[in-house]
Amino acid sequence: MNVLQVRDLTKRHGRKHNLVRAVDGVDLDVPAGQMLAVTGPSGCGKSTLLNLMAGLERPTGGQVWLAGERIDTAGERALARLRRRSVGFVFQSFHLVEELTAAENVELPVLLAGGSPRAAKRRAGQLLDQVGLADRARQLPWKLSGGERQRVAVARALANEPLVVLADEPTGNLDTAATNEVLRLFADLRAMGQTVVMVTHDARVAATADRLVSMRDGVFVEDTWLGGGSGWLDGLFAMGD
Amino acid sequence: MQDAILAMLAKEPSHGYDLGLRLRRALGPLGGSMNAGQVYVTLARLEKAGLVVHERSAGSPDRPDRKVYALTDAGHERVTAWLAEVNRPKPDLVEFHLKLAAASASRLADPVELVDAQRRELLRRLAEAQRAVLAEPEGSTGGLLLEGIALRLQADLRWLEACERVWSRRADA
Amino acid sequence: MGRLLLVSRLVLGDLRRHPGPAVLLVLSTFVATAVLSLGMSLPGATERLYLQTRAATAGPDVVALAPGMGGATDAVLTSLENAPGVVARSRPYRQFFATLTTGGGEARAIVLGADAKPGPIDRPLVTSGRWVRPGGVVVERGFAGAVGVDVGDRVAVAGRTFPVVGIAVTAARTVYPWAMMGGPGNGPSDGAGLVWMTEPDTRPLAASGLPVTSLVYLRMADPADTTRYMAFYHDTPNSAGGRVGDSAARVNSFTWQSMAHQDDVYLRDGQPILIIGGWLLSFMAVAGLSTLAAGRAAAQARRAGLLKVVGATPGLIAVVLLAEYLTLALLADAAGLALARLAAPTIINPSGSLLTADAGPHGGAVVMTTVVAVGVAILTAAAPALRAVRANVDRRPDHLVLLSRMAGWLPVPLLLGLRLVARRPGRALLHAGGTATTAIGLTVLLMVHAQPRDGWDLGGVTLADLADDQSRRLLAGVTAAMAVLAVVNTLTMTWTTATESRATMAVARTLGATPGQVTAGLAAAQLLPTLPGAFLGIPLGLSLHWFFGPADQPPTPLLWSVPPVLLLATGLLSVVPARLAARRSVAEALAA
Ligand SMILES: Nc1ncnc2c1ncn2[C@@H]1O[C@H](COP(=O)(O)OP(=O)(O)OP(=O)(O)O)[C@@H](O)[C@H]1O
Ligand SMILES: [Mg+2]
Repeated sequence: MNVLQVRDLTKRHGRKHNLVRAVDGVDLDVPAGQMLAVTGPSGCGKSTLLNLMAGLERPTGGQVWLAGERIDTAGERALARLRRRSVGFVFQSFHLVEELTAAENVELPVLLAGGSPRAAKRRAGQLLDQVGLADRARQLPWKLSGGERQRVAVARALANEPLVVLADEPTGNLDTAATNEVLRLFADLRAMGQTVVMVTHDARVAATADRLVSMRDGVFVEDTWLGGGSGWLDGLFAMGD
Repeated sequence: MQDAILAMLAKEPSHGYDLGLRLRRALGPLGGSMNAGQVYVTLARLEKAGLVVHERSAGSPDRPDRKVYALTDAGHERVTAWLAEVNRPKPDLVEFHLKLAAASASRLADPVELVDAQRRELLRRLAEAQRAVLAEPEGSTGGLLLEGIALRLQADLRWLEACERVWSRRADA
Repeated sequence: MGRLLLVSRLVLGDLRRHPGPAVLLVLSTFVATAVLSLGMSLPGATERLYLQTRAATAGPDVVALAPGMGGATDAVLTSLENAPGVVARSRPYRQFFATLTTGGGEARAIVLGADAKPGPIDRPLVTSGRWVRPGGVVVERGFAGAVGVDVGDRVAVAGRTFPVVGIAVTAARTVYPWAMMGGPGNGPSDGAGLVWMTEPDTRPLAASGLPVTSLVYLRMADPADTTRYMAFYHDTPNSAGGRVGDSAARVNSFTWQSMAHQDDVYLRDGQPILIIGGWLLSFMAVAGLSTLAAGRAAAQARRAGLLKVVGATPGLIAVVLLAEYLTLALLADAAGLALARLAAPTIINPSGSLLTADAGPHGGAVVMTTVVAVGVAILTAAAPALRAVRANVDRRPDHLVLLSRMAGWLPVPLLLGLRLVARRPGRALLHAGGTATTAIGLTVLLMVHAQPRDGWDLGGVTLADLADDQSRRLLAGVTAAMAVLAVVNTLTMTWTTATESRATMAVARTLGATPGQVTAGLAAAQLLPTLPGAFLGIPLGLSLHWFFGPADQPPTPLLWSVPPVLLLATGLLSVVPARLAARRSVAEALAA
């Protein structure tokens, strides 16, 4: 079953001379459990595509189905409900709520979805433990390192067990070590069968996905399947002997 | 070198001197270190292998008596195979660069497609290496080697991105 | 030189990029300094105006009046030239207790028989038209304004019609409506205005048997020393063998000092209104401006950080911040003083009976308001400047634990609102303080308007009580200024809260909060501090009113409307930016 389905999706900015085709007629199916990476040069429309798929922006044309529900035409309330229950977001600049502690940030989606404070607390504890931050739960975001902040953000994205996690350059602000921390987390998600769509221009990050689509000027130019090893690494070591 | 010269001949039969010029142009600043004799030695070797043949051209007044080299059928086959081939442990920079230049000149292949194919392959390898890296616990020595492999692959991929940018702009122009 | 250029360039750049806060700063400071300087220029203002009028009209040092006319009365009055300190006197003049009839009705008037060419003492200053001529009268300016006559109008004096040929002011009379200076027979005075006509024109008045009083103007050797004269004239024998002052032909003397103080009656009520209003407005300005400054603190700290990176010293950063606020505050102060100067004549000379060429804030008031304006600027800039200079660590106050814990059990909008409040308790206090100040102003205003009003009885017509009118007008002005500042402050606070919480609210929306929830959260964050502020302002306003006004006046039921009105206004003002923000796409809001 496809968690996300995109047909002829278009988003334009400006008009005439300033016309920018940020996304220009894109088709995409993301089956459940797939980890998809979208790469491409800066400005090719990756973020726009991701925002369109979460209803954070309205498309100029085309359709988006999230879990079988049309979202490009949905009202704000319906979108809010979808975001609350079906989508988890991870951003390049973390976007944690600065006023809330790490644990409170993770609780927020649960509370928004109508969960009891007790349930929210339990879920936050469990997730922070999963991302290895149980001991930093009561810190405010500005006291955390970039890698820790992003792990809190991932925990928050998972709070309502979303159908799909959308990540926009989740490692864009991190160094190699912190990037690996976050990527390990994503590898765990993949192993758990979580559907993930992430946008990145870092090949190493993209390489952790099952499938890679390359974007250029608002269109897909390539769709590569990365799953399954070719045994190349083993061959490499054999040659080294 | 052999393959590059073969590919250059695929466009049209040429004098050894012209071939040298074209090679040097493709290599840019690095081409200065190539000596002219190398081209003739290589051509002779290729001829022996039955990949090229030469005929004397009617000498022009200023430079009489010149050999014009052309591909044989076997030579053609070899060029096509070379252009399509991606499955090397890692691309030799100079060779790959010449391949793109030759592909573009001979129109036997689209350089952008060559880059894409190469990149797909490298990405698959990187995916494998990266997964292995992430599978290693943090700080293990075994992971260190994998990290090195992944970083090299990443560097190669970056270069391929640059290649693609330049060659696709060429194609547009 | 280069440094000066740098500072001015930075200041100008900031002003150009953020004109809104600059406008608010100027507006708030302007209103506060205008009102404060007006309030501060009231003490002694009338006396200054009187002195000015006295100098311009050769005002007498003493006016002595005795009932009746004729030899005996004149003899008593002329004998006063022998009183101690007196160096000169005028001839005796007559004033008749008559009426002035205009289109609007009939008012009590004192008709003074004047010289066609005034003598050395008391030379009334004609402010429009010309001086009396046979068959033409001149009306005192305050009186003319009150009954609405002008040069060229025709009026009836004791039944005879005259054209008004001029309007004049004099220092020989207490200001309108106290022109009588003792009723017929030196009895108690009623309100009346002053009319001059030539001596021959007054003869029919004398013949018709209207009550009359004679008067002379005296000049003293030392105008400051009128006490010896006042002590003496009670001991002067009069023609009836009694004593001047308590005899049948009584003499009633008015020194120039007593006339100067008479006008104060107008300002006795106005002064506290203006001074208290000025301070309230200053406080409101500080409340609003601090919110503004706090709202911009983050941006300023970032700016300071950038400056530091390129090598600016902490001192320079402080100078840039202070220079901006100081320049704006001084600008606003100058504008406020200018407005005070323009408004002063009507405020301190409500009757129009005095010259006002020299009205307006003087040394003390100018210094004081400038100090206040500079203080506001320093208070506003100090916190961000200090923070910017000290460290670049962005410290946030640790949250109020109880409030946050409570918030966990509330609906999501309230939760968001409470959290926003809990993170910025200082801001919430400021907001509450600003609201309380507005509530105080509204309370005092409602209480004053609930007072019964009396007018002045001028015989046939009842003219408005100028003093009461004056204080009401001032109060309305102060209230209008307060309303302006209240709106400005509420806008500032809602704007600040909206911008500060924009990121939070956008993130909340990516997590699935509806636009309604986000709007409600923002409104909750604003209304929570408004509520206690609005309720606290009422008792404070009442005690202020009872302290300066009638202490026995019961609170008007209208006061109950103050909190709802304030809450409604704040709610509306805060919903607008929230709704606008909610209309934008989430992606846009996040990128902002
Ligand atoms: N609100 C907007 N108005 C006008 N143009 C826009 C707007 N938002 C995006 N664009 C344009 O749309 C194009 C795609 O932008 P987008 O942010 O999706 O790129 P991206 O692939 O995410 O780039 P990066 O890797 O740098 O983040 C860009 O050319 C950008 O300038
Ligand atoms: Mg982007």
